[in-house]
Amino acid sequence: MQTSASKIAIATLTLALLAGCSSSGPEQPAAPTESKTPVAPASPSGTPVAPPAVSGKTMTPEEALMASLKDPNSPLSKRIIYFDYDSYAIKDSYASLVSAHAKVLVANPKLKMLIQGNTDERGSREYNLALGQKRAEAVKRALMLLGVQEAQIESVSLGEEKPRMEGSDEAAYAENRRSEMLYSGEF
Amino acid sequence: MFKIFRLMATTLLLAATAAQAQLTVEITGAGANRIPVAIANFAGDGLLPQALTGVVRADLERSGLFKLVDPGTTPVPENAAIDLNQWKDRGADALALASILPAPGGRYEVRMRLYDIARQNKPDGMIFLFGAATVRETGHRIADFIHEKLTGERGVYSTRIAYVVKTGKSYELKVDDADGQNPRTALRSSEPIISPAWSPDGTRLAYVSFQAKKPIIYVHSLATGTQTVVANFKGSNSAPAWSPDGKRLAVVLTKDGSSQIYSINADGSGLTRVAGSTTIDTEPQFSPDGQHLYFTSDRGGSPQIYRVAATGGTAERVTFEGSYNVSPRLSPDGKMLAYVSRNGGRFQVTVMDLASRQIQILTDSSRDESPSFAPNSRTILYASEVGGRGVLSAVSSDGRVKQKLSGQAGGDVREPAWGPFNQP
Amino acid sequence: MLARRGIATALAMLSIGSAPAWALFDDDVARQRIEALKLESTTRLGKLDAQVEQSQRVQLDLNNQIEALRAEIAKLRGQNEVLTYELEAATKRQKDFYLDLDNRLRALEAAPAAAAAAAPAADPAAEARDYEAALNLLKGGKFADAQAAFEAFITTWPQSSFQPAAHYWAASSGFQAKNYPRAAELYQAVHAQWPSDVRAPEALLGLANTQQVQGDTKGAKKTLDTVVAEYGSTPAADVARQRLKQLAPPPKKK
Repeated sequence: MQTSASKIAIATLTLALLAGCSSSGPEQPAAPTESKTPVAPASPSGTPVAPPAVSGKTMTPEEALMASLKDPNSPLSKRIIYFDYDSYAIKDSYASLVSAHAKVLVANPKLKMLIQGNTDERGSREYNLALGQKRAEAVKRALMLLGVQEAQIESVSLGEEKPRMEGSDEAAYAENRRSEMLYSGEF
Repeated sequence: MFKIFRLMATTLLLAATAAQAQLTVEITGAGANRIPVAIANFAGDGLLPQALTGVVRADLERSGLFKLVDPGTTPVPENAAIDLNQWKDRGADALALASILPAPGGRYEVRMRLYDIARQNKPDGMIFLFGAATVRETGHRIADFIHEKLTGERGVYSTRIAYVVKTGKSYELKVDDADGQNPRTALRSSEPIISPAWSPDGTRLAYVSFQAKKPIIYVHSLATGTQTVVANFKGSNSAPAWSPDGKRLAVVLTKDGSSQIYSINADGSGLTRVAGSTTIDTEPQFSPDGQHLYFTSDRGGSPQIYRVAATGGTAERVTFEGSYNVSPRLSPDGKMLAYVSRNGGRFQVTVMDLASRQIQILTDSSRDESPSFAPNSRTILYASEVGGRGVLSAVSSDGRVKQKLSGQAGGDVREPAWGPFNQP
Repeated sequence: MLARRGIATALAMLSIGSAPAWALFDDDVARQRIEALKLESTTRLGKLDAQVEQSQRVQLDLNNQIEALRAEIAKLRGQNEVLTYELEAATKRQKDFYLDLDNRLRALEAAPAAAAAAAPAADPAAEARDYEAALNLLKGGKFADAQAAFEAFITTWPQSSFQPAAHYWAASSGFQAKNYPRAAELYQAVHAQWPSDVRAPEALLGLANTQQVQGDTKGAKKTLDTVVAEYGSTPAADVARQRLKQLAPPPKKK
């Protein structure tokens, strides 16, 4: 149902967003040369960007943004940062993920993000709530260092209350030690 | 010697409550020196929709402090002439006799007489007027009376407990009588509810709800069912604890970064910061005299319990053994501190005698959390886990009497909070 | 990002600002220059981008390092808290232990301490000589001197087996010398310290005498009662019974 034109438009927009130039508006389409990100109308994995099922028409920038946030092939669809046991440091492997989200937030100052920190189920619920807060704060600080305005981000904790995986083994614990990023409209 | 006592069997008559989720109380360990007491069948018990005698007996037996002596099946009126030696021979140190009589307005009158055979005191007596709907309450009050006369300390049979049940994806904040009967749902939510805390007057519960995708502190009025937001600041809002005068709450906010302790009026006004650090400070609890706040902090690299003056100042570390000591709770008499310690990967309820700093691990399973003192300081209610499911358990503060309170099948019971003596 | 946008705007303004110069060049030259400018700005922007990104990476890294240091400081603080607590506990234990030890030693030292200072090395001959000398003074009727000599013996030879005897004779000498209060103390000491010594009942009789002499009939009676109660089968008890009869008030007439 999507026209190929809209596909391209979305791809370009997404890249523009990633490059941090979206607010320049449609009359100033992002020059590919301005972006340090490799320019290719495809996701990092090399498969074509799957069109989000929104409508047959060209999307507004906001719609395009929200679509890209949900697009499983966009790095922006990755919203979870996992932590080691008893650790609140963002591992190096998440640097590009954090920076991709930072660029979106910088480019869209009206966009808000809720970061929810989580822990595994061991120990006191209230103390775990405080530990989850540390995980959320770590992501918030990283985003702020990448230029995001503090007013755009709220870091909260869900403690051990919202596990992604039920169970009392290390696999479940590892899956639950995480921070999740939610954008306006998702919380 | 292990005694198993199932309270549900005695109250299945009450269709209204039987239909709801109930907690079954099972004693899994009893005190060494239980007082043998005979509760003769109350004369006129048949007038009532539910036997009063059974409620009193169940209460006393469940405490683990009394041993019921078989009184025979014949009802004995309160004013009967009795041969105390005969009861002494049966092994009873005390004997309770009661009569129930119809009173005007469809009500009833119960007269009770308590003979302290062992100490040969003059018999004590009491009279209550009550309605058909308050048989169980009356039974608890009679049990409280007997308990206090024989042990010298107040009974807690008339108090209530609050806890959270998770069933599937639904969370309920419940309030039961201390025997697990008469459950009422104060709040139902599709998002987690944690940290219920009773106001000192027993009329309100503060708690943390995740209804808004983040933790927010509410105060819930039990009489009206109204919810008031107490703290909804940027970040997380949690760990409410009432001041002894019931006017303020100690709370934990993250509006300035890490989890920090603040004090706020129960209506959400007058926020002040109590203690400041760059690390985690959480789980505040007022000492019963209101002078100090005990709390959990990781300022020393591992979670430990600290104490600070309620007005602020330098915090003083209280726990030193082990690398994980959390969830401080002061006994209402101010003499003990209960908390959860991790010992070889097991989380266990531990109690510290504040004067001597002696500690004793009270529980022996691996996932014991959220201790809560009974208002007479004698028993600690806590959350435990059996077969992957949350259950409530209780242990006497000397570690001798143990009880298990199991909920309905499928429900995950957690976050218990024992209410105060005060009954609205 | 803001910085880059600022530069872009500046460049745009620069190209507008240079408009009057257009006339001097033909279109191609102008185009070439613009292209060159574009290329240059793009290169510079790229460099700035790289700098910003590098700076952010460094900041993130610093942030992680600060967190690690904080954790390290917290651990040290915790260790400090534990060590301080343990030191305080150890100090207190040590103090308690010392106090306890001190109290025990004090009790042990109490009796022999005074003597120990002056005590000559054990010399049985000297000990017996001192005792004999005191006894001779008593025999010679020099009661005050005898008392002093026995008292000196008591202090000089604290471990002596003559201690009960020395006390008894010191008391008797004192009684004769009319030194009643001291005599009473010494008689009492014999009974209190060596209740099974043969002189104990005799000492009580002496005490009763002393009390009677001092007008303390009630005390004397009590002492005699003690003799009867504790040493009922001894000759001293018979004496005590005799004296009790004498002390008994005349029976009241009804």
